[in-house]
Amino acid sequence: MKTWYFSEMAYHPAWDKGLERGSLRVNFPSENLDPVEAGTLLNRYLDEFALCDEVGLNIMVNEHHSTATCMTVSVPMALSIIARETKKARLLTLGNPIANRPDPVRVAEEMAWLDCLCGGRLEMGLVKGAPYEIAPANSNPGRLMRRYWEAHDLIVKALSTHTGPFSWEGEFFQYRNVNIWPRPIQQPTPPIWMTGMSVETGVLAAERGHVVGTLLSGGLAKPMYDAYRKRARELGWEAGPDRMAYAAIIGVGKTREEGLRRADIIAEYVRTAPVVAEPFSNPPGYNSLGANVAILKSGPRANRIVTDRHGVQINHRTATVEQFMDTETVFAGTPDDVFNQIKAFNTRMGGVGHLLFFGQGGHLSHQDAKDNINLFGKEVAPRLLELGVPEAAAAE
Amino acid sequence: MSRHLTVSGVSLELEERGSGRPLLFLHPGEGLQPNRPWLDALARTHRVIAPHHPGFGGSALPDWFGTVDDLAYLYLDLAAELKLENAVLVGACFGGWIAAEMAVRNTERFDSLILSAPLGIKVRGVLDRDIVDMHSIPRSEFMRLAWADQAKGEIDYMALPDAELAGIARGRESLAVFGWKPYMHNPRLKRWLHRIDIPTRLLWGEQDGIVSLDYAEGWKAEIAGATLTTIPNAGHYPHWEQPDAFASLIS
Repeated sequence: MKTWYFSEMAYHPAWDKGLERGSLRVNFPSENLDPVEAGTLLNRYLDEFALCDEVGLNIMVNEHHSTATCMTVSVPMALSIIARETKKARLLTLGNPIANRPDPVRVAEEMAWLDCLCGGRLEMGLVKGAPYEIAPANSNPGRLMRRYWEAHDLIVKALSTHTGPFSWEGEFFQYRNVNIWPRPIQQPTPPIWMTGMSVETGVLAAERGHVVGTLLSGGLAKPMYDAYRKRARELGWEAGPDRMAYAAIIGVGKTREEGLRRADIIAEYVRTAPVVAEPFSNPPGYNSLGANVAILKSGPRANRIVTDRHGVQINHRTATVEQFMDTETVFAGTPDDVFNQIKAFNTRMGGVGHLLFFGQGGHLSHQDAKDNINLFGKEVAPRLLELGVPEAAAAE
Repeated sequence: MSRHLTVSGVSLELEERGSGRPLLFLHPGEGLQPNRPWLDALARTHRVIAPHHPGFGGSALPDWFGTVDDLAYLYLDLAAELKLENAVLVGACFGGWIAAEMAVRNTERFDSLILSAPLGIKVRGVLDRDIVDMHSIPRSEFMRLAWADQAKGEIDYMALPDAELAGIARGRESLAVFGWKPYMHNPRLKRWLHRIDIPTRLLWGEQDGIVSLDYAEGWKAEIAGATLTTIPNAGHYPHWEQPDAFASLIS
């Protein structure tokens, strides 16, 4: 299991005001942000990313828009800086929200440029984006996934075509001379990742052999991984752990208490981040028909309810760090505790090859963040490299 | 009773009732709601034909279909298929936009046009919203703006069968497909409204909080001879809130 550190680069000083208004996203005015303080925080977060390279961790960057929960507005912009400050770490975009990007060829150009800049260390996530990203991008939530797949196919073709211009006359995108310069070092494309929470995503990712990632709930992850492995087998290949990724909050300390304290502070992100004004939480067409029928029956979900591994319902708005540990949203404690929790998780999931280490939610101090990265990088990550297909799953 | 009819390759669910002069009713973004009283009220004096728009109710939304242009051509083809003559073309809200797009193209099967609080044109400046962004406000705020008496518009979703809820969810997605960007209008349509060559009447609820009476005047100014009639105690859906007054203005 490889580890990828990531941070939302949150603007947490505004969270209390956002919570009072009932929305941290889309309609939360930016007068609640001090741009000088934002700059200080961005520099601090980038220092935390740079430290990861020194302790042997890989790096992941994501982006959101119009929100106090994440100041990264452009994955390639952030990764460009990180590429120059790191030497060994592989660099993952998770991701480029391509269903909300008007110009997929531009995405391909940026990814190729980054791959050249970092010497072929890029891994390229192409994601649907969260529901509340529809409004800032003003992208149409109707037929979103059709647009996603057309953008995906165009990006792959643009990155892997080197013999002069091609034309693209699709449903959503039209070009007459696609011919990107530079082209990526990794051929035909940098490794491609997707994200999702459904069996359907597992199947679609398997059909393309992409890495599939999910977050914050082991209960939702397992059916998706199983669907991936099953579909791969149907197609005549065996999907190993290196096709599966999982994002969790991790707090490591010299003592169990210190680890839990760090995780608890980072988990404040999960308690806060989903708070968004009602109309932006489920734009029409974003969710499946079945999900929308359920929402119409029950009314809009005020909270994010996740079932833990004992079958108990946990509310992510108010969960304690221990409850988050039961939903596998959090791994926390001493390095041994954390290793054992992740090892057990790996067994339950049937083998997960990539751990996305959510190590900074905003409120964690710079010193705590650095200590967390150092301890995890030196005392947990090297042991995770030995985790592969668990014995029980291998025997199936 | 409804029936299915395939027009230009699109399977449409049609509600039909009444007899007399034909009336093609194009429903708002909230859906047709065929069991509510307005179709019956209109059917007292007309042969009412009311399709569920593609993607709404039991009508299919084929992959190739996705713009208000498509809707306009589809319903012109429907009028030809049904051999309508001297028909009344009625469109409410989003359906009014479709009716206007039809009327700038071809009015030969219709001899009057009724636009009830239509969406579809841009009147004021880039920073002005002519049409309330119904997708950026809470449902409770939408209800407050869209109704004179909110109780008349309440829908008890818990009481509806899954098939009907699926129709509502599909309809909401379809409305986004047709009208998300530019939001619920065609920036060019206003310049072509002069082509409408049949008597046109604009109907407007006096308490409409979605599109204002100023917006109504914007429509009236572009269509030669158009009249504007307001309906008391009605919001954005006068046919829904005041079905008898609505029907009497049409007959």
